[in-house]
Amino acid sequence: MATDRRAEVTWNGSLMEGSGTIRSTTSGAIGEQAVTWASRAEDPAGRTSPEELIAAAHAACFSMALSNGLAQQGSAPEELQTSATVTFQPGEGITKIMLTVTGRVPGVDEEAFRRAAEDAKENCPVSKALASVPEITLDAHLAT
Amino acid sequence: MAWEGNVARGAGHISADTGAFSDLPFSLATRIGAAEGRTSPEELLAAAHGGCITMSVASELTQAGTPPQRLDATTVVRMDDVEGRGHQIVKSTVTMRARVPGADESAFARAVETGDEGCPFSTLLRNAGVDVVVNAELEEE
Repeated sequence: MATDRRAEVTWNGSLMEGSGTIRSTTSGAIGEQAVTWASRAEDPAGRTSPEELIAAAHAACFSMALSNGLAQQGSAPEELQTSATVTFQPGEGITKIMLTVTGRVPGVDEEAFRRAAEDAKENCPVSKALASVPEITLDAHLAT
Repeated sequence: MAWEGNVARGAGHISADTGAFSDLPFSLATRIGAAEGRTSPEELLAAAHGGCITMSVASELTQAGTPPQRLDATTVVRMDDVEGRGHQIVKSTVTMRARVPGADESAFARAVETGDEGCPFSTLLRNAGVDVVVNAELEEE
């Protein structure tokens, strides 16, 4: 079954002097968000950007895929702490994504955790959609 | 971003570095079923795509000497269970309505096309085989 998720965005004015608003989304969870060129390419000043939203999407998707992969091996995680950092280069686009994950996973060794994380990085739906980003790195460790 | 438990019954929370949003809950059930007030990776991508393409079209219109008064974009990101490949993001549909003083239909259509090509996220999606559809309409002044 297909799932659709919607977002409404309004932009006013030129790119450099204007500004935009993410007005609403399907779930309503994100609330109104202001976006500007400066918040995207320079100092965010508390505002989000397309790349930050992509980072959030990728971190969430990766975590779900990793959780699923670990559970299928019989060792569901207690907790995964994931961060995704998306690098935006004006004129070039998205040049790099850095994923880092620290897991509390009973019954799994460092090597098996890293393999499961690598698999999630390759196969989660957002990773697939972002496959042409030039560089996607992964740093996966168990919590000590 | 933190996730607790297995994928079917677990749940996670998302926070943004900028502080623009924090502790948003999400889960598998609300990702593939009814949203029930919870965001999902695909919803965040829809917001990202809407933000990316409106900025890019605004830039093209500005360069053409007709900055937009207002661009309204609705973006729908579709995930589907594709046979043999599992869940995949298959389509992003952008529907735009614009108020652009001084721009005629053909100049506007050009700006939308170039803006779509210039939006890095549109390009990434297309490179991955995701169907990206952009429909844009110029409102009467």
